[in-house]
Parts: sequence; structure tokens; C-alpha cells
Amino acid sequence: MTVNEMMQNMPLTLVNKPKTVSRPINKLFASDLLSHVIGYAEEYDVLITVLNNINVLGVASLLDLSAVIFTHNAKIKPEIIERANDLDLPLFTTPLSTADIVQKIASLG
Amino acid sequence: MNPCLKKTTKHARIHKEFVIERNDIANAGTVASTTKRILKNEGFPSHFIKRVTIGVYEAEINVVIHSYGGTVIFDLNDDNVSLTFEDKGPGIEDIELAKAAGFSTASSYAIENGFGAGMGLPNIEAVSDEMHLTSSKEGTKLCMRFDIGDDHIDS
Ligand SMILES: Nc1ncnc2c1ncn2[C@@H]1O[C@H](COP(=O)(O)OP(=O)(O)O)[C@@H](O)[C@H]1O
Ligand SMILES: [Mg+2]
Repeated sequence: MTVNEMMQNMPLTLVNKPKTVSRPINKLFASDLLSHVIGYAEEYDVLITVLNNINVLGVASLLDLSAVIFTHNAKIKPEIIERANDLDLPLFTTPLSTADIVQKIASLG
Repeated sequence: MNPCLKKTTKHARIHKEFVIERNDIANAGTVASTTKRILKNEGFPSHFIKRVTIGVYEAEINVVIHSYGGTVIFDLNDDNVSLTFEDKGPGIEDIELAKAAGFSTASSYAIENGFGAGMGLPNIEAVSDEMHLTSSKEGTKLCMRFDIGDDHIDS
């Protein structure tokens, strides 16, 4: 699956302007602890989190993640959106909880 | 002499120094991403780069969230990558306790920013070939070494 395929028919809003949404997805990685993310997430994972701060982007770019999804309708600050544009990293928000969006995306296969 | 340096090490092929400011959470990760870029440019395999990056990131975050600020020395040597993190205090009271998985004194500010799982030092120990931690009220010194061509811890 690619980020683009994941976006289709999912309750996901793309909140920034990445140049591409065609990156492949390795797996979904849900965590709210950056030590877990840095230790266990892999290249091309999609991070699903309630953490809403600039460090998430630092970790995402260190690991070359494919996208980040902020759950529970997080309001994303302009500075975060700007940094994500610089990094060319797609950011999504969803009204769903972490568990619910993981389940929905996983059902895509 | 850096206790994490092997005796075989001569001059560094690449030497870099960084300053880390206290509580500068917005720039936390700069040392790790610079390190990653250097190693990528040098053509190291991605699992080696990942090991180093994890160690550097965790050590960098610790200086940001637990200390009054400090410095980092990065050396790419012939057979290893070695880093030394030195800060200005307040130091670690009980080093063995600090190294235990899950132990954390992180502030609520750090926790809100996703840090403070108590996994940093255990992670550094796991990914490095040697980690050396000393501390007093005047400051903490943490060095770590990653041996090139030693890929046994492949995460
Ligand atoms: N540079 C440092 N200065 C002071 N205390 C530190 C430093 N690094 C680590 N510590 C102490 O060791 C504990 C464990 O560190 P770590 O394993 O990285 O977990 P965490 O950073 O999530 O708390 C910290 O909570 C802190 O009490
Ligand atoms: Mg830590």
C-alpha cells in the first residue's frame, strides 16, 4: 500500500502540502512515546499518535517515515505544518482514536 | 582520553562538535540528524546508521530535558564511530538506577513532548558496542562507541 492508497476512503485530512503522497507504507506504528518510536519504528512506517509537537517531525524525518497521522482531531500548529512541508512529510489528522484508525486502515489489507 | 575509544583509534576521519541548550526541545534531534547525514554520505549500511542514530538521539534528548545544557563530540574513526556527551549538571544521583528500564525523573513538560519513558539509557546500552556513564553534581559524561563492521545488533 502507498500513502495515496491509504488516503482514499479513509477519514483522513491531509493538513500540509507534501510534494508527493506516493511513498510506500511498510507498516502502521502506533505510539505516543518517542523512545519507542525511535527504537522500534522503521523506514516507510506510518506513525499514528496523539503527540502533537515538533519533535514528532524530528523523529519522523530521522527514521524516514512515510507519513504521520494525528488522532482525536488534533489541531496542528502552523510551525509544524511548515516544518513538514520542508521535510516533504505528509501529515494527516483524523477524528478517530488511535485504535479505531489503525483498525480501519488495517482492514484495507 | 575518551574511555569509549579503542586503543587502535588514531585520528578521526571526521570530527564535529555541537552545543546543546537546556530545554531546547524544538531543536532536539539536530545532533542525531547531522550524524545520520554524515554516515549516509559515507555510505554506511542503514542498520548501522540506525543503531548510531538511536543512541545519539536518546543521549541528545537527555541533555536537553535533564541537564543545564552541554556539548557533544562526534568522531568517525577508522574502525568506529564514537560520541561524547558532556553537560553542566545537575548530574545523576544513582547511575545504576538511572540505567534501569523504565526509570525516569522526566518533568511533565518533557512527558507532554513525548519524552520520559525511561528507555533512553537502556536503549543506548543495547545499540552501542560500549557505553560509559559517569556523573557528579557538576555534570554528566556519557560516551558511546559503535564498531564499524560489527552488525550483530540489527534492529
Ligand atoms: N544528562 C543527564 N543529566 C541528568 N540526569 C540524567 C541525564 N541523563 C539521564 N538522566 C537521568 O536518568 C534517568 C533515565 O534516563 P533515560 O533512560 O534516558 O530515561 P528518560 O530520559 O526517559 O527519563 C532520567 O530520568 C534522569 O533522571
Ligand atoms: Mg532519556
